[in-house]
Order: sequence, then structure tokens, then C-alpha cells
Amino acid sequence: MPAPEHDSDVLIVGSGASGAAAAWSLSRRGLRVTCLEQGRWVDQSEYAHSRPDYELARQTSFAKDPNVRGWAEDYPINNSGTPIHPLMVNAVGGSTVHWSGHFPRMRPSDFRVKTLDGVADDWPFTYWDLEPFYDLNDSMVGVSGLAGDPGNPPRSPRQTPPLAFDAGCEAYLRGLEKLGWHWWPCDNALISEPFGENRSPCNCCGPCDIGCPIGAMSSAHVTYWPKALAQGVQLITHARVEQITVDRAGRATGALYYDEQGVRQSHSAGVVVMAANGVGTPRLLLNSTSAIFPSGLANNSGIVGAYLMFHPVALVSGVFEEVVNGQRGPIGGLMNCQEFYETDLSRGYVRGFELQLSRNVGPLSVANGGILGHPVPWGSGHHEALRSRYAHTMTTSVMLEDLPERENRVTLDSELTDAHGIPAPRVEYRLGENTQRMLEFGIARARDLFEAAEAVEILVDPLVRESGWHLMGTCRMGDDPESSVINGWGQAHECPNLFVIDGSTFTTSAAVNPTSTIQAIALRCADWLGRNYQEVAA
Amino acid sequence: MTPRFLTPKELALLSLVQNELVPSYGDLPPAGTLGAALTVDAYLAEQPRLRRPVLTTLRAIEVRSGKTPFAELDAGRRVEVLRKVEDSDPESFSELVKQTYNAYYTRPDIQASLGIDGPPQPLGFELPAFDESRLSRVRAMGKLWRDD
Repeated sequence: MPAPEHDSDVLIVGSGASGAAAAWSLSRRGLRVTCLEQGRWVDQSEYAHSRPDYELARQTSFAKDPNVRGWAEDYPINNSGTPIHPLMVNAVGGSTVHWSGHFPRMRPSDFRVKTLDGVADDWPFTYWDLEPFYDLNDSMVGVSGLAGDPGNPPRSPRQTPPLAFDAGCEAYLRGLEKLGWHWWPCDNALISEPFGENRSPCNCCGPCDIGCPIGAMSSAHVTYWPKALAQGVQLITHARVEQITVDRAGRATGALYYDEQGVRQSHSAGVVVMAANGVGTPRLLLNSTSAIFPSGLANNSGIVGAYLMFHPVALVSGVFEEVVNGQRGPIGGLMNCQEFYETDLSRGYVRGFELQLSRNVGPLSVANGGILGHPVPWGSGHHEALRSRYAHTMTTSVMLEDLPERENRVTLDSELTDAHGIPAPRVEYRLGENTQRMLEFGIARARDLFEAAEAVEILVDPLVRESGWHLMGTCRMGDDPESSVINGWGQAHECPNLFVIDGSTFTTSAAVNPTSTIQAIALRCADWLGRNYQEVAA
Repeated sequence: MTPRFLTPKELALLSLVQNELVPSYGDLPPAGTLGAALTVDAYLAEQPRLRRPVLTTLRAIEVRSGKTPFAELDAGRRVEVLRKVEDSDPESFSELVKQTYNAYYTRPDIQASLGIDGPPQPLGFELPAFDESRLSRVRAMGKLWRDD
């Protein structure tokens, strides 16, 4: 039997939400899959939830901003040109290692923005094309929630029932019922009953944002990775990719990376799949220059890194007289209000937003302003102020659809590098006019909600700096090679054996958390690649 | 205990400052008296990025106190000094406040005073299950999404 031509059939860069799903899907078809991950497995002992100082983890070891967290596996990001800081986790499982687990789907109209509303671009496929992969993904990861939301198309039964409904939910409901607005219990990547192996149902401990020590959170390292590894996927941790290599014809041949000892290695593959997130993927493509791609791999169009979208977020908190114990229960997993989701031009903007009705945090984070954006004052009134907020506050995120604008982009910084000397990303981003008008309107509606709910004080953080979890659009999908990087299967227009499957792929951002859609896209692209591998790799 | 980073004089000043930032409350002593300065000293020893703002603030407090050391000022004058220092460099001052809160609210005794009987895990919390009947009004709203 002849030796294989490549080290692997498929090389995946990044082991987060999309890379894990693709590794599982491709290895099911018998393909030899290797994944390079610059991070490590987060050890169970690293979670702080059993210590009285667990809230410090938000500021240190589990800080969401890599520039603050500063793990050896992280790379620096030049944030000086953006009011919203990109957030991510560089570890096996990527940013699903510590997140809120919100797992909504996009709506059908989100894929037809140009046709329906005359702005941005349509996606190269529809909601209905993606629906089977949403269902497949949900069945793999385990979702809590309830089918039947009139705000969304019918969907398959959720794997576990909705999460708990407590005093804070009752407070929200008071306002929602008065106003007659839509709401529904969130779909969450967080199991409320037994599901899967080596996982426990959520016990409502609270701080999901510093990780889940019991495996209730449907993070990629507890869902896809055990199955992918059992199917023979090779996962190489502490592997920091420097560039994707190409041959003279401009086809991807593999990657150069630094191993755990800092030794430069190469790995060849028939197909390369980028799954390094909306900042990491364009960074690596831009750094992969060659004679045939002098501006970066698959970037002769100049689109790689452009059209960066976040979900700009305002936080509006309501302080109640009664105890609502917002620190108990999954921090994000309550209810969504999509009353203002679809376009209504009379509101002064196009597209829409959702109100994520969420819980709150413990006393230290309340004191420091944490999710509220307003620290408790020091001095003689400190204790009364702290006690009026702690256990009495609920917080709503106003999360907006961000329209794609070419000027918002990821580039390579000319000076800043990571520990291996690889250029760091620089992020340039500004809020568009439509976004600013929508933000103002959304904050006013969140105020309406808390007033109707009889909050005694309302606190507003009008634009949260540390809200750049959702990194989208920087290798956008489309049918036109002049205005997009990849086609609807994730295949690069300029390099047919290069695929992108992470949040970079988004043509538009919708106004919901993207991970469910990212994984559905990854599964759809991987399914197509698996069926067409011989042709693509030839 | 011997401080790991601050000088004994800086530690003593920090402790007095903390007593103004988080004063006594009922039976609870103020933050400095509880030993929050030593905890902040440990943070400074372990996290170099915190040193500049905290030291800058302590020095500014000494300067603002004038000829009378901060320790010898009456309570009203101490607060006045702290407000002036905060106004002149709010970023550094807020870091000192933040680290004081960090030291204070991570103490089990302070958490107990707020009704917290332990960290989130391993016990978590038992919360009521979701009641689907609460959705009857919303279900009746009919289809709210647009076809493509």
C-alpha cells in the first residue's frame, strides 16, 4: 500500500465550536483529520467555582479579554482602534469553554437581508438549507429550551426542558405582561436534565461565564471532542500556527506551526479548514503571503479581514425592592424578548435587536460594577448601596444586528507580535449610524421594560466595551468573488482546497448569539467537503 | 504578617485608606481593620500591572494630606483628601478601590453577612421548574417571523 501523499487528509486550524464539529463530521467519513490548537485542555482544577474568591477569576485567569487574561497560549490584540474589545478563549473548545451558552437560531429573514430590507447582502443559502444542520447540532450538543416560539419557525423538540424560572423571571414577566411584548425561554447550550456522557445537569450555580466545572454547559470540549477523538482525530495542542502554506499553483498544502517546545513544524494535508474565529482566521490568512497571494492567502480580492461585525451590546439593569437573587441560576439562560427583531422603518433604523433577559452576579462583581457598568460608591453609603443592588438586580442585554461595513476590519499590526514573533491582529471598528440609532431605541425599550416591571432604579451601560464575543464577517460567504472570500460551502473562491467554517463566514450578523449558527454552518460545510473530498483534494 | 510588596509604611497607609473606602457596618469591622491591605499586598506581589495605580494613589494621598499625616487627620478631612485624589486621577484611584473590594468581598465572613453560605459549587441552588402555562398569552400572538 503506498504511503499517503499528505500527513492528513484534512487539517483543521482551531478546536473551538466550529473546528470541533467539523472534526467530528469529517472523521465519521473515514477521513484522516488533524486539528492544530494553540491552547490546551483546561483542567478541572482550574475552575474557581468552589472557592470563596471565585469572582476574582473574572478579572484574572478566566477574564474574557485575552489581553487581560494573558495566558501563555493567548495572542495579543491591538484594540486601540475599536470601542468594542474582541473576546475569545484560546483552548480546546475555544470560546465555548466559558460563555453564557445562549443558543438561539437565526431567523429566515436573517439570511435574506438584501432582498427583504435592501441593505447588506443575502447569504448564499437559506434558513431552510441550514435547518437540518441546526437540528443535527442540537442533538449532538444538548440544548435546553422549548419548541413552539411564535417568534421563530417551528423546530424539533429540545433535548432537555427549559431552565429554572425564579423570582427574577417573575419580575421580568411583570413588565412583559403589562407591555404585551413577545418573550420565550431561551434555547441554551446547557442541559437541564441528564444528557450525554460524563456530564451533569445544570445545578444553577450561577457563574457560567467563568466556565462550567460539571459539564452542564454544552461546550465543544465536552460535546464534540470526546466523540471526534474516539473516531481517530489527532488533536495537537500548544500548536501555534504561523501560516498556511501553498504550492506554486496556489493550492493549500498544509501549515507551519510552532509546537509546545517552540520548534517550528510543518504539517501537510489535502485540504485545510480554518476554524480559528473571526479574528484568528483572517490574521493567519493575512500572514500567509506568497508569490501568488502577495496580500495574504485567498485575499487577492482584498476582502479577507474586512466587514468585521460584532454584536454591539448595551446593558440595562433594573434594581428591585424585592429579592430577585439574580446571582443564582445560569447567568444568561432565562428569556429572550424578540418584540423588536424584524425591520420596522418607523423606528428610525433598519433591521432589529433582541432583549436578552438575563440574571446577575455575586457581591464582588456587583461592587466593582461588573455586569452593571456602575461600581458601588465607596465611603459612608457603601454598604447600603451594595445591599440595595446585590440580590436585587436583573440585567438585560440589548443585542443589535450589526450591518457589514468594509472599513471595519482585522489587519496585521506592524509592531505587535505574539510570543513566537507572529504579527498580532489589529482591529479597527466603529459603530455605524444605523447601529447607533438602533442602540438608542433599544436602550429606551429596555428602560420601558424595567419601569413596567416596577424597578426602583435603572442603570445603563450604553455600549459595553468587553462585549466582543461574537466575531463575524471577516471571510464572508457569497457567490461573488469580488465581494466575498468563500462560497456557500465554505470553500475559498481563490483557493479551492481551503475552507473557512467559523464566525468569519457570516454574510450578515443577525441579532442573536452566533454559536448555534456557526456550528450548523460548520456541519453543513464539513458534510459537503466529506462528500466531495476526492474532487476537492485532487 | 510581613508584606510581600509594600513597605510597612505603605501597608499602614493603605489600611487606613481602606477603612474609609469600606467603613464598618453593624458588627462588621472596616476593610482595613479586617486585613484587606495584606490581601491587596499579595495581589500586588503577584500582578505587577496593579502596582503603578495603587502606588501612585498612595503617594498622592500622602501629598494631599499636607503637613499632617493622613493617619492624624480626622475622618471628615480624610474623606476630603480621598475625594481630591480621586478627582485628580480617577483611573488609578478606582484600581485601588477595586482591589480593596476584591479583598473584602472574597472573605467568607463578609459573604456570610450577605446571606451567602458558601461558594457556588458543589451545591449550586435549587430553583423552581419552568411553568409552560405562563406562555399562554405569547402563544396566542401567532407567527411573528418573516418568510424569506
